[in-house]
Amino acid sequence: MPADKGLIFNIQRYSIHDGPGIRTIVFFQGCPLRCPWCSNPESQGAVRPMTWTKNGKTETISYWATVDEILDEIEKDEVFYRTSGGGVTLSGGECLVQYDFAATLLREVKALGINTAIETTGAMPLKAIKKVLPYTDYVMFDLKIMNPILAKRVIGDDVGQVKASFEAALATPTAQVTPRVPLIPGYTTKPENLQQIADYVHEVGIHEIHILPFHQYGSQKYEYLKRNYTMKYTPLLTPTEVDNIHQFFTDQKITAIVSGLE
Amino acid sequence: MTTTMSTRPAFETARPTSKLEVMKQNLFKQKRQISLERAKLYTASYQQTVGQPTIIRRAKATAYIMDHVEISIRPEELLCGNRTVRPRSGILSPEMDPYWIMQEIDTIGTRPQDQFEFTTADRQYYRENLLPYWSGQSMKDFINAKITPEVKAAEDDLVIKLNQTDKGQGHIIMDFPAILQRGVGTYVTTLTAKQAAHPDNDFYTAALIVFKAMQRHFDRYATLAQTMAADESLPTYRRIELTEMAAMNHRLTTAKPQSFYEALQLLWMTSIVGQYESNASSLSLGRMDQYLYPFYQASQQAGVPADFTWEVLGDFYLKTDDVVLLRSAESAKCFAGFPTGYTVALGGLDKYGQYAVNELSNKMLDLYQEIQLPQPNLSVRINEQIPRRFLNKTCETIRLGTGIPMLFNDEVCVPGFLSKGVSLDDARDYAVVGCVETTIPGKTYGLHDIALFNLMRIMELAMQDLRDEPAVTYDQLRQHILDKIDDYVKIVTAGSDIVDLGHREFAPIPFLSSLVADCIDNGQDVTAGGARYNFSGVQGIGEPNLADSLYAVKKLVFENHEMSFKALVDQLNADFAGDNGEKLRQHLIHDFDKYGNDNAELDMECAKIFRHYALELGKYKNIRGGEFNAGAYTVSAHIPLGEDVGATPDGRHAHDQLADGGLSPMVGRDHLGPTAVLKSVSKIDNTLAVNGSLLNVKFSPNTLKGDNGIRKFADFLMAFTQLKIRHVQFNVQSRETLIDAQQHPENYAGLVVRVAGYSAFFVDLNKRIQDDIIRRAEHVL
Repeated sequence: MPADKGLIFNIQRYSIHDGPGIRTIVFFQGCPLRCPWCSNPESQGAVRPMTWTKNGKTETISYWATVDEILDEIEKDEVFYRTSGGGVTLSGGECLVQYDFAATLLREVKALGINTAIETTGAMPLKAIKKVLPYTDYVMFDLKIMNPILAKRVIGDDVGQVKASFEAALATPTAQVTPRVPLIPGYTTKPENLQQIADYVHEVGIHEIHILPFHQYGSQKYEYLKRNYTMKYTPLLTPTEVDNIHQFFTDQKITAIVSGLE
Repeated sequence: MTTTMSTRPAFETARPTSKLEVMKQNLFKQKRQISLERAKLYTASYQQTVGQPTIIRRAKATAYIMDHVEISIRPEELLCGNRTVRPRSGILSPEMDPYWIMQEIDTIGTRPQDQFEFTTADRQYYRENLLPYWSGQSMKDFINAKITPEVKAAEDDLVIKLNQTDKGQGHIIMDFPAILQRGVGTYVTTLTAKQAAHPDNDFYTAALIVFKAMQRHFDRYATLAQTMAADESLPTYRRIELTEMAAMNHRLTTAKPQSFYEALQLLWMTSIVGQYESNASSLSLGRMDQYLYPFYQASQQAGVPADFTWEVLGDFYLKTDDVVLLRSAESAKCFAGFPTGYTVALGGLDKYGQYAVNELSNKMLDLYQEIQLPQPNLSVRINEQIPRRFLNKTCETIRLGTGIPMLFNDEVCVPGFLSKGVSLDDARDYAVVGCVETTIPGKTYGLHDIALFNLMRIMELAMQDLRDEPAVTYDQLRQHILDKIDDYVKIVTAGSDIVDLGHREFAPIPFLSSLVADCIDNGQDVTAGGARYNFSGVQGIGEPNLADSLYAVKKLVFENHEMSFKALVDQLNADFAGDNGEKLRQHLIHDFDKYGNDNAELDMECAKIFRHYALELGKYKNIRGGEFNAGAYTVSAHIPLGEDVGATPDGRHAHDQLADGGLSPMVGRDHLGPTAVLKSVSKIDNTLAVNGSLLNVKFSPNTLKGDNGIRKFADFLMAFTQLKIRHVQFNVQSRETLIDAQQHPENYAGLVVRVAGYSAFFVDLNKRIQDDIIRRAEHVL
């Protein structure tokens, strides 16, 4: 792994639904989790160049880039960040896997007076998030499966690690933290899981979360990767089901904001 | 009788709650029809004035029309002045060009775009009376006789297209603030004195003839209103209204308006007289929110009910949809769906350089949200000082999805005018004329739509020229394109001057000229050079396709050496025939970057060519001593002008459309979202497009949902402002909605969409243009 480069698989401009203002999202290769609903399955696994087969052509979809190279892309929309209070979001994959590179990139972006954000699952040793938090204005933190045994078995997650990372973010006064709960039927929406999330959110003294209803936008990618998409037949949540979950949190005195891709 | 409406008995009696709805429905009840009335009256007058100077004959003809045209006050109307009794009639002006009408006489009712009924009796009358009378002595005859072989050759090369050879010049904003401040009487007095002092000056005589006719025309409406008011079968409120209308119209024959109601009446009548005089497109309205505001305030202070003000303004809006322009089939392809050009610029700068917004600016957007018809074509002037509240309202209005208002950037338009010798005060006062052209209102005869200049076609010809050049280089190709631009620019200016001269000789417009500074001082018609500013605007067409094509040739042939220049030209000439051709076409489309994706190397190639074109054009002076200005817009002409161009190295098939609008990326070629599009467009120095430019951006309705959607949209527009892009307009309809509207037009009679620099009813557009609108990239995330 080159020391001064990061492996990324996409830079997406004009993102307006995640985080403040108009943003550019830098997608990092690599993720220790294996969520079956993942909408960026090409990012899963180790930090290594990923290929897929699209329309009969095999393409390498991730590439090594220096901080300066990424800054060149980021700067293209600088005027939009300035007028909207937007900025740059690191996503993935799990951007904390390449935490050294992520921290350098965030530091450089923040030095330009541009808002910085990360989307993370916290599925890394505590030192990873600690490294980036000083340069991060906004943390979108996923809370998925809260039962440690289930989390380990289903998605390979270490709930203790997640909680430690989350609490480190909360303890950072310069970072704003929004917990986000993907609503995945059969996984995260089970009543006992929702209750555990509510209890934990209370425990750490938070009153607002974002809920992201399940979607299948990533399904095509599984075909490109020649992988089986196990969620193919999982129906989307009905508006009533989303309302019910919303109501559940309201009853727990937690404001749940429905967000995510539209 | 007071007309200040401080007490409004009519308002306190029983009256329909939805006056505007009644008026709106009446407007669209009947099929559009051609009316020969103006042509007949004009001709009858001309038969009586043989031997007199043209300007006097024109004035007398206009006066004759105003004295004899059938007039009406339609149910519930509060403002007088209908160009025709039957709503939305097409008006012929055979004095300009009697021939196209003859050629299309049997197809006008069935042609693909903008049909009009033409009754058998009227067609017969046209053939037997109007055509023979005007044949050989129309403006078209004059222009055709003057067209030089060089200009003809350039037209045959399909590089240039001269406009306004068959109708009035239009694209003028009269000095409405002046006439509203002075009243008609002052003009009559001034012109009488000028005429007495300069008895040999035909301009003064002619202008006076029309102004006096305008006074009589007002009185004809006063008499009609009085007669109608006597009808006891009408409800009380209506009789009171008609009595007031009679008094007001009589008063306005001389007096200056005192109230908002009177100001709108005079404004509309002035506009109608202009229409009778020139039957032209785009006698635009200028900065209505600015010059009407003192009247609006006066009426408010006098206690006029807000509902009444709303209705009068609503009536005014609806009247702008009553006037439709009859165009030839070819012209209707380029300007589909009746862009009559009642364009209004809201907001902007005042003469102190401060942002100019008032309650009326807001009300005009509110009213638009209620009425939602294609005219008036509202625009908002944006600059770095625009208050958020007004910007938010602008965004909310755009979100309705009809493409109204469009946005013009003061940070570009003002310096553009300054670079052309316009004073700072005047530059800050600019307004929108026609679709996306800008002008200095009340001071300009700008021939903003005089010619089209097909840059993509020039590149195509340049490639043909160099096909057999053995060691051709990229620089050589570029240079050859620039040289050809120079050659054709010279020719297009010469051609524009011929049309300019044609209008001077055949179509002086003394009434309108009196409302353009400094014609009265100079004693000259605008067509003779009497205006303060005398531009001619030539639109450069096809920049996005040119950018993509140049880049593809550069990479494919000269850098990657994938094939020879000659082989590429041959493939283009064969329109990518065969499997290999199609393979090459796909390669060109997918493997080379395209304009709209913020690729500086690519965008700058196009920017350099556009700059060269604009500066070259600026070297020429027109016959009125004014400058030629470059534009970068196609309106809907990207479809017919695409028919003129063979296959191009951007992978476009022969005769397919060019990029829409002017500066928008080619459909389907941008894939990084709207910020990248704006960045590409900003590379082309928009300040050089003094005559106008056009950028279409389509958003999905979801993107603009909620307060957050509006906030981010407003932020996006502030970035647009800083990027110094001149113009942008939005379509906010989902693909699904538009496809459904195409399949079930009966369910979408009222669906207004953005076509080019204007909006039109979707169902009024032919299928090709509908398809084009559906295809334009929808930016969604």
